[in-house]
Amino acid sequence: MKESRVSKAREKSETKGKELPFEIDPRSVYKCVQCGTCRSVCPVFDVVGWESANTRGRMLIIKSLLEGRPPSEDVLSSLSTCTTCGICAAKCPAGANPPDVVEAARAQLVKCGVTTEAQEKLKAAITTSGNSFGETRSRLHWLSDKERSKLPEKSDYVYFVGCFDSYRYPEFAKKTFEVLQRFGVTLLPDEQCCASPLLRTGFREDAEKIMEHNLEQIRKVGAHTVITGCAGCYTTLKNNYPEELRVISLPEFLAEHLEELNLKRLDLTVTYHDPCHLGRHNKVYDPPRKVIQAICTLKEMKNIKENSRCCGGGGGVRIGYPDISLKLAKKRIEDVPEGVDYIVTSCPLCVRNLRDAAGDVEVIDIIELVAMALE
Amino acid sequence: MDITAELRKIVGERLSVSPSELYCYSSDASQVKGMPDYVVRSKSTDEVSRIVRLAYENEIPVTARGAGTGLAGGAVPVGGGIVLDMSGMNRILEIDIDNIQVVVEPGIIQDTLNDALKPYGFFFPPNPGSSAMCTIGGMIAYNASGMRCVKYGTTRNYVRDLEVVLADGTVIHTGSKMLKSAAGYDLTQLIIGSEGTLGIVTKASLKIAPLPKIRKLVIASFKSAEVAGQAVVKTFSNGVIPSACEILDRVSLQVLKRCDPELALPSEGDVILFEVDGTENSAHEAAEQIIEVCSPLAISIKLAESEKEMADIWAARKLVGAAVSRLDPTKTRIYVGEDVGVPIKKIPELLRRAQEISEKFNLPAMKYGHIGDGNLHLALFIDVLNKDEWDRLNRAADMIHRTAIELGGTVSSEHGVGAARGQYMEAQWGPALEVMRAIKKALDPKGILNPGKLGL
Repeated sequence: MKESRVSKAREKSETKGKELPFEIDPRSVYKCVQCGTCRSVCPVFDVVGWESANTRGRMLIIKSLLEGRPPSEDVLSSLSTCTTCGICAAKCPAGANPPDVVEAARAQLVKCGVTTEAQEKLKAAITTSGNSFGETRSRLHWLSDKERSKLPEKSDYVYFVGCFDSYRYPEFAKKTFEVLQRFGVTLLPDEQCCASPLLRTGFREDAEKIMEHNLEQIRKVGAHTVITGCAGCYTTLKNNYPEELRVISLPEFLAEHLEELNLKRLDLTVTYHDPCHLGRHNKVYDPPRKVIQAICTLKEMKNIKENSRCCGGGGGVRIGYPDISLKLAKKRIEDVPEGVDYIVTSCPLCVRNLRDAAGDVEVIDIIELVAMALE
Repeated sequence: MDITAELRKIVGERLSVSPSELYCYSSDASQVKGMPDYVVRSKSTDEVSRIVRLAYENEIPVTARGAGTGLAGGAVPVGGGIVLDMSGMNRILEIDIDNIQVVVEPGIIQDTLNDALKPYGFFFPPNPGSSAMCTIGGMIAYNASGMRCVKYGTTRNYVRDLEVVLADGTVIHTGSKMLKSAAGYDLTQLIIGSEGTLGIVTKASLKIAPLPKIRKLVIASFKSAEVAGQAVVKTFSNGVIPSACEILDRVSLQVLKRCDPELALPSEGDVILFEVDGTENSAHEAAEQIIEVCSPLAISIKLAESEKEMADIWAARKLVGAAVSRLDPTKTRIYVGEDVGVPIKKIPELLRRAQEISEKFNLPAMKYGHIGDGNLHLALFIDVLNKDEWDRLNRAADMIHRTAIELGGTVSSEHGVGAARGQYMEAQWGPALEVMRAIKKALDPKGILNPGKLGL
């Protein structure tokens, strides 16, 4: 495992950290009865092997902080390696919600100045450039000047592209927007990171600012509905932004408009990977399957829906602990059934991580499958 | 001697002295706590032997640990020292269908073993509620069982041979693949249930059983837990041996029904789940017999209509222990006094007295468990932020333990004694405890193996 390093910020505020009370709802922590159910499903524990790398271990460590143990860098390799995939919450007999507890604990650690270097780098990238990669290019670089000038200034529907599709998979953005444009969907003039990476890694105050910026943009456009093709953006817009926002994932939108899309059947067999933040966190299981089955044959993976295994890309784990992240992706690839032409998913983070695990089968986003059926 | 350096020579990176890591190994699912000084994840018998020898020479306590799902603090290092995490030794070494046996390392998870045996048409029957996460090593150390032991017996009935590392690091085998042996003391049986106090199991040969062709489930509801207990006694005395016989009292039932209103369980009374298995004919006959015997006492009685209905009920039953927090976030189930057992005939009395204890201390309780073998899981739940409730909880647990002993039963039927129930060993065993102490002294003269357990 790559050793976590404590940021310079922490060194500066070490004494400050010890003075801060570790504020977190005790009931959310004491719900855990330490039965170990989560230990049997935690994907990170599966590849790391230490008790501190499973959910029960994390809950214990958080309990110890709550009971007065001073926060220190020692807890980081436990609390920063959670992908927040939520399989522990799905299986917990006591109904605990460990991803929420871990995120709350990370926020407290940030307040105490206990962070990893990777966390700080990510924060710096987002707060200075508005995206998680520190890119200085325009977010809409994948559109021509002419296309940009033609974007409707007002619309009921807006496509929230996300950092990944903007900078790493602009072809997904392009294909998605080509479909959505048919329905009068527009883009935000100055979209910024949805704030998911900040929220997942504990930078709540920084997240608030960037979320307010995006909300302002959405209000300007006058949209009542936001559509996104990224599972990370989706769960953030849906669950962390104000309730006034109606948020739809791309698979949900596509499934709702299947008839209008007039997709042709393709002679393909594909499997589908449920992104944790779309599936387990938000129960969007059927729409992507409906879209796939309208196009070709779906052959399910070994673990699906609520039992789906994490690709390792979330929760800040990929950036902080790339070796763990890759091992998770390789384990997930083992779930792929024989005889499929593609692994389809609906999250660019999952696409990237699963592609890195380099199985024999190509990994594509659901929009690519749809684009094939539109040709 | 620099113990950290010596341990590192044996296991390399699989040693931790990080405070956070040590903290994660300072408890199991019980209320027992104890900080280790070192945690080591062993990968082979040779490593275990060398670690234990090092500990022996330096008189350092060694506590073996599987998945840490124990409910008595058995894997908690109450005397500090080394925690030996055995969960990485998790291979199935041999599936020997001709000898109806399997050879495994102790870290293998019970469900994983059964998943591997299923294609052969066999299974390892002892099935604790924690089968998805508990290790076979832990099951051997605590003689674990579960709901099917009423027909199939406990772990003790399935172990043929153990490879054991003794206190000085010597490696022995306690048996063989033979079905029987009349040569010498039965060391296999001595090690089973010894909670890591006599040696550390590094390999096990286990008997396996053919999977039954069919299972059927009779769901019967009664006006009181006591009457339900009478129905169980009557069923057994009529010669029916169910493959599982579980009680869910009305509080457990309410909790389960509120978690899943669709669950095919009665909405009133205290419920007994009778499972029978075998061939279609034998299972049908046994189910009919149970219905006939229990009908005069029951409010309602029926056969589960589908495999799904059965599976849903058993899945819910597995979750019942901690499910109360799902309904009331201010309540947490605390595992104390949770594993008493009495002779079958005394079950109605135990149920009545458990109810009285719950009322006396004003603590809500669920009563569920393997009533078919006299094992009651009393689930007391409290607000963990309320000190007075903790106090009442501990007094209630003490009373339930003493009640079980008074009724000729045991303070633990399948979870073990560990550090949580050591104080009752004298009362339960009298002079027999001295024999146990003599055995402990003979095999572990320096007292390094899991000290502070079993009331020794």
